[in-house]
Amino acid sequence: MEKLLQIQEKIRAFIVKASYAEDGKIDNDTLIFEQGVMDSMGFMSIIGFIEEEFSVTPSGGELTEENFESIDAISNFVQRKLQS
Amino acid sequence: MNLKNNKSFSQEILKIENVEEEVNRISKRLKKDITEILKRKGAVVGISGGVDSSLTLALAVKALGSENVIGIMLPEKDSSGESIAFAQKLAEKFNVQTIEENITGALKGFGCYKRRDEAVVRVFPEYNPDTYKMKIGIDKRSLNQSLPPVFTITIVNSNGTEKRKILPIKEYLQIVAASNFKQRSRMSMLYYHAEKLHYAVVGTPNKHEVEQGFFVKYGDGGADIMPIAHLYKSQVYQLAEHVGVPNEIIKRTPTTDTYSAEQTQEEFFFQLPHQEMDLIWYGMENKISPDKVGEALGKSAEYIEIAYKSLERKKRTTEYLRMQPLKY
Repeated sequence: MEKLLQIQEKIRAFIVKASYAEDGKIDNDTLIFEQGVMDSMGFMSIIGFIEEEFSVTPSGGELTEENFESIDAISNFVQRKLQS
Repeated sequence: MNLKNNKSFSQEILKIENVEEEVNRISKRLKKDITEILKRKGAVVGISGGVDSSLTLALAVKALGSENVIGIMLPEKDSSGESIAFAQKLAEKFNVQTIEENITGALKGFGCYKRRDEAVVRVFPEYNPDTYKMKIGIDKRSLNQSLPPVFTITIVNSNGTEKRKILPIKEYLQIVAASNFKQRSRMSMLYYHAEKLHYAVVGTPNKHEVEQGFFVKYGDGGADIMPIAHLYKSQVYQLAEHVGVPNEIIKRTPTTDTYSAEQTQEEFFFQLPHQEMDLIWYGMENKISPDKVGEALGKSAEYIEIAYKSLERKKRTTEYLRMQPLKY
């Protein structure tokens, strides 16, 4: 199973590529939606990415700030799902 | 526009004090702009049977006279039959000539339905457009949070049984891109009739549609002039009543009339009842504290803060739709 650090790196790489942001400008705890790094299309593309990359399909009830507000939050969510 | 700014913060604040004056102001300007700036001699209005296009047609008639206005009805195979009946009733009321152009053939030529249905089948393999209806909309569960909305797709079989899934981005984009052929084909047809008569195309979006980006670029966003683009939806209703738009149209729930399954505009895009949205939008624009807006609507300040963020996000992320081509 992938370790949290590996998951974080993959998610970070995806978000940096998808948002055209400079890598150094996004921290793992940056609030990516709140700070305008990603928008609605970005959110939908993250959902698609974690399905494709980790085979994690969030249910509607799991689309929460707690699970998606930052790289850390998404990584922790993916890891929890992989462990369950 | 003369708003009741001396009143306490409530729905009353959006009421136009002198409706007659506002109707006269818009129609005078409409006449001047069409004849002196656009240098056209009449107006073509796409009429859907909804309150926005009905008010626009009525204002155009007041500005130019019914003999210089044409109402164009542009149904296609997914349109509600009701829409044509309401549009016809409106035209009769204002004594305006109508032309009906069914755009189903053009849309088939563009592959609108085929391209849309291909994407739907990738999400729901059992979907058959002959036996199922479909619609897309914003997932309501995302409304009470600061996250951007995600879209869902719903298919409805002949028994009325619904199935809903979160829409993957690739399929979402293909469904929207294919469906947008509808608004763009309508725009082409409106310009055909306008150019044939040396008339202007009068667009029908209200303030929310323009500023929140609820329109298709070069589709229903393509027009020469937009005379109700400054009006909140409740003001559209206020003016519509005043100018005599038929009551059945005023009482109708606004729909998208875009997907085969019935869908309100609130469900598809706005997420809030228009009375609530108007006041929240006004509060956001005028920097009124969420506490005060919440008090007027019987909602918490937190609810209003989330709504402010959501509206600001919509405004920001739809800027592209309102942009003119970047010229070098």
